[in-house]
Amino acid sequence: MYKQLEKIFSQAFGVDKIDMSMSIDSVPGWDSMAHVGLILALQKEFAISIPPADAIELTSVKNIIQYLVNRNISSG
Amino acid sequence: MNWESFKKLKGDEGWLVIRRAAKAIQDALRQKMMTLKHKADVAFVSSYTTDPLADYVQVFAAQSDLAVNQYIAPYGQFNQELLNPKSELYRISPQITFLLIEAESDAIDEQASRLQGLVDAFLKNSTGTLVINTFPACPSWPLQVLPDQRRILIEKLNSGIIERYQNHPRIQILDLDALVAYAGCQNAMSPQMMSMARIPFSETFLGMLARRVISHIIATLGLARKCLVLDCDNTLWGGIIGEDGLDGIQIGHDSPGREYLEFQKTILELYEQGVILAINSKNNYDDVMQVLNEHPQMLLREKHFASIAVNWEAKPQNMQKIAEQINIGLDTIVFIDDNPAERQMMRQLLPQVETIEMPADPSLFARTLRETGCFTRAYLTEEDKNRGQIYADQRQREQFQQSCATLDDFLKSLEMVVSIRPAGKDDIKRVAQLTQRTNQFNLTTRRYTEADIAAMAQNPNWRIYVLGLKDKFGDNGTVGLAQVEIQPKQWRVDTFLMSCRVIGRQVEDALVDRICRDAAKAGCISVSAEYIPTAKNNLVAGFWDKSSFKKLATDKNATRYELLLEEYKPKILQYLNLGE
Repeated sequence: MYKQLEKIFSQAFGVDKIDMSMSIDSVPGWDSMAHVGLILALQKEFAISIPPADAIELTSVKNIIQYLVNRNISSG
Repeated sequence: MNWESFKKLKGDEGWLVIRRAAKAIQDALRQKMMTLKHKADVAFVSSYTTDPLADYVQVFAAQSDLAVNQYIAPYGQFNQELLNPKSELYRISPQITFLLIEAESDAIDEQASRLQGLVDAFLKNSTGTLVINTFPACPSWPLQVLPDQRRILIEKLNSGIIERYQNHPRIQILDLDALVAYAGCQNAMSPQMMSMARIPFSETFLGMLARRVISHIIATLGLARKCLVLDCDNTLWGGIIGEDGLDGIQIGHDSPGREYLEFQKTILELYEQGVILAINSKNNYDDVMQVLNEHPQMLLREKHFASIAVNWEAKPQNMQKIAEQINIGLDTIVFIDDNPAERQMMRQLLPQVETIEMPADPSLFARTLRETGCFTRAYLTEEDKNRGQIYADQRQREQFQQSCATLDDFLKSLEMVVSIRPAGKDDIKRVAQLTQRTNQFNLTTRRYTEADIAAMAQNPNWRIYVLGLKDKFGDNGTVGLAQVEIQPKQWRVDTFLMSCRVIGRQVEDALVDRICRDAAKAGCISVSAEYIPTAKNNLVAGFWDKSSFKKLATDKNATRYELLLEEYKPKILQYLNLGE
């Protein structure tokens, strides 16, 4: 899961590595428009549907990982 | 991400990837690290968010060598932008404005009159082209066993829009209803996107819509490519002719083979709309000719191709020969090859050629070709419908020329018949097109729009001559043009051009002769003419001298000539017969 997430972040923002401290406030290019793209990419990559109420919470790497774990996507 | 990987983006990578590529392209253009051949100023004015659409447009346009300078109106501000004459839209005044709106009301009369108000305001305040959309008549799941009334109303609204605007010279219709139906409503529309980003469409559909947007830009600016160059094995048919033989290759109604037939159908459709066809294949020449001439299931035949380069040389090298033979620029060519390595080589060595990224599955070939949009035009003339054939006839002419001992023999035996007549109403589109497309045999390279030509044709002080040429191989169509301004003592040749496919046939002399004789008949003393040099028209630098015009003056822009009619001796046109 970590690897997949890293791939998405690399495609979206050109960052090679992700860490728990990254958030919408700290990653250049992660604005509200990119956030929509990020949600779409997460849905596709992990084959899940993310309701809007959840989407607005996923504004940090920490939150995203926590969310994916809660949705029963194995961490690896 | 580098430029090579941009070129391969197909749109299904997801908006996130496209968005990043779009930003990189914008930066590269701004910092002049990248230049693209064509440029368009475009505005998006919409009732929804268009930023993601604009990203797809940026990326796909760059793949077609087109830089799109975008103005995206603030979200939802379409009424203000169009109705206020002092709006930012009118201040910027882009070449093409896309007005993309949703139906606000189910009352179709009200919706139609709102749209009309917006369109009228645009036509009054702008000189550019406006693209409007039809409204998707998406069915909802019926609650009763009755036809969906809302859908019926929207369909009515759409037919009204199409009827009212379809022939307007400054309005184009993006048939969003048809496009959504093509994609399927469930796939095209996305309630999730609507709630997250105020965009009614899914990610995939944004890519498709962007391709239509680019088609409108290409059509409006007249950037359509002219020639489609095709590989053979595993592109036009399945299998390898050199190994599988005539009976072993796959093409026809059975499967496998159907997908190639479908692809050939689409190619033939393009040919019938004026796209020139050519072959660029690594094969034995005779093997390919055998398929073209003898395979019972082939739709494409030898007669459809204007150039056939089949040998074992590198494809970019062949491509240059093809361009030379047909006498067109490399930047008007589109190349299709199933082999990624060949595509890569073409992109690297001849980036001017548009090399299409083909899917691995041949059943998607037809669709991929249709959706490229690089052959889109705003209208089709009679000339367009015959062009593919005219160029294919040319190849036979050239084969014939090689069999003639001298040029003299060749020209004599061509049995050419020239007809020269004043341009009529039906010629206006073709005349405008000739002024826009002709680069080499063009003495002044003045570009005129359809509206300019229509005005000139009405004006008694102007005379527009068109020249048609037939020979033993077929009708070449309207291939020559002169626009002459008539003054009492002197006629001024404003434009004089010949289509490149009749260069070297001496037909231009017939046109000069006709102008001079008409001028003399009208009691005129002299005819004046100019040569305005460009990067491409060196071919005709000495044309007026050869036509016995006297050089008057040369400045940095033009050389001026004059011919006194009392000294005029008509040239003997030994190869031409004059038709009616």
